[in-house]
Amino acid sequence: MSLFFLQLHGELWKLFARKRTYIGFGAFFGLEVVILILFQLPKVQRSFRHIVEQAGYGFEEYFSGVTLAFQVLYWTVFLLGGLYIALVGGDIIAKEVEDGTMRMTLCRPVSRLRVLTVKYVASLIYTGVLTLFIGLSALAIGLLRQGVGGFFAFQPLQKLFVLYDFNEGLHRYLYSLPMLGITLVSVTSLAFMLSCFNMKPVSATICTLTYFTTDNIFRNIPYFDSIKPWFITSHIETWYNVYRSPVPWAQLTEDLAYLMGVDATFVLIGVVAFSVRDFKS
Amino acid sequence: MIELRCLRKAFGGKPAVHDLSLEVHKGEIFGLLGHNGAGKSTTLGILLGQVFPDGGEAFINGVSVQRERAQALARTGAIFEAPRFYDYLSGWRNLEIYTSYSARVPKDKIAEAVEIVGLTGRIRDKVGTYSQGMRQRLGLAQALLPENELVLLDEPTNGLDPEGIHEMRLLIQRLNRERGITVLFCSHLLVEVEQLCDRVAILNQGHKVFDGRWADLESDRRHVRLEVDEWEKSAALLRDIVDLKIVERGVVSVKNEFDTAELVTRLVQGGVRVRAVEPQRRNLEEIYLSITHNGASPRADL
Repeated sequence: MSLFFLQLHGELWKLFARKRTYIGFGAFFGLEVVILILFQLPKVQRSFRHIVEQAGYGFEEYFSGVTLAFQVLYWTVFLLGGLYIALVGGDIIAKEVEDGTMRMTLCRPVSRLRVLTVKYVASLIYTGVLTLFIGLSALAIGLLRQGVGGFFAFQPLQKLFVLYDFNEGLHRYLYSLPMLGITLVSVTSLAFMLSCFNMKPVSATICTLTYFTTDNIFRNIPYFDSIKPWFITSHIETWYNVYRSPVPWAQLTEDLAYLMGVDATFVLIGVVAFSVRDFKS
Repeated sequence: MIELRCLRKAFGGKPAVHDLSLEVHKGEIFGLLGHNGAGKSTTLGILLGQVFPDGGEAFINGVSVQRERAQALARTGAIFEAPRFYDYLSGWRNLEIYTSYSARVPKDKIAEAVEIVGLTGRIRDKVGTYSQGMRQRLGLAQALLPENELVLLDEPTNGLDPEGIHEMRLLIQRLNRERGITVLFCSHLLVEVEQLCDRVAILNQGHKVFDGRWADLESDRRHVRLEVDEWEKSAALLRDIVDLKIVERGVVSVKNEFDTAELVTRLVQGGVRVRAVEPQRRNLEEIYLSITHNGASPRADL
């Protein structure tokens, strides 16, 4: 087992010593700042004020750091979430095969399953670290700009409209981060699976993004409402459920179990594809 | 130390290795020689468990690579024509990462391997700043770790300048001599294999066309050039001699132990005027070309 951690340590070192890994962090941070600036525009604040005051609450109380953090989190994940996870997930095997370093690793007396396990765990850690970075940096810049105050979230598509005091809002926000991370593992797993096939890293990334974008489009076509649970993105959005009151634990558990099943299937297909491949220059 | 039994592999229906069997003994430097696409890298891939054979089996120290890969490769290292590293990491970190897939290797062992290949002064630098020769030496260091007894080298001098090739050759010889490391050396360069290897197998289009010592290859047969008045008549007389083959007009191939005087006697007795007999010792390149171009059993053709 200790050898596993030694290998994982090396894998993480490789991952986090690479400049390319930090593109996602930089891009998210930049986007968070842009969204925050846009929320300061009078026109945007007017519409925000209208929604809060129509519900009978004070805008000044609920236009707080944690409210802004949620908005920033929601929109950055929606816009860029899959992209950077798919980028790293798609690279994790295919780039090494392309660069020839995988052949060097496979000269060693180690099973292909072990190599894949180490790499998959490393990509899960990356997914977790990126999610936490997005969530905590959004919270930090939200609190720095707007300070403490009540929490307000309104997302019509998800039929989400909630108001909490600061403590409750902060707790729910922090709980939502691991949930978000777990749901995004499906993006990691699909990119990882494709990366195990004989394809270029960029193809693995593009195919992953294509799949999730298509899935998201199909899910939102009204005629497909009755088959909505068939689409993975329907289950990925379950992370919002921790903001509902009461939290629909049964729904949340079902969605997460579904996603874990999907993730396991992706990984299994990837492992089988990788295990039967010939590696030759 | 290495035993290949009837290996077969085809890619897309095209045979890459055909019924290949050979043995490499402990402590020797064995050469696998062949032109590009002859099947050397495929053979090495099968030996490392990176390529699945369609038939046959490869053994290292009696352990099947196909059935017990981890055990078979426990003391085996390899480098390919251009060893690939993580350029943005130091040489030392690269060694740590690669060797972690074999065992937990103490720092002093890594330092020792680095010293052997002469990279001590640069090992903390990023690999991206290394020259091709330094990369090859780093590749060799990783192939030696943790404490490998067998090293498989696939075109290890590719891209090196003459000085680099010379250094690499000396290094391999030193490792073999001082540490008893067995080396399987794949190359398409005849001179390299000749200078380095004790025994050699020659591959041609996936077939083994020779397997043995250089001495066997060199001394087996020789060519004799004849200057005679009537070649057709001479050829008719010579066809009856066992172990003699007519290579071309005026040139015959004979076993080395064959007495040239007998050849001349036959011709003279047959009424042919012999004006000159000139033994032609072929160099290795000619022998190699003869083997690979004829594609059949080398001993019959030489």
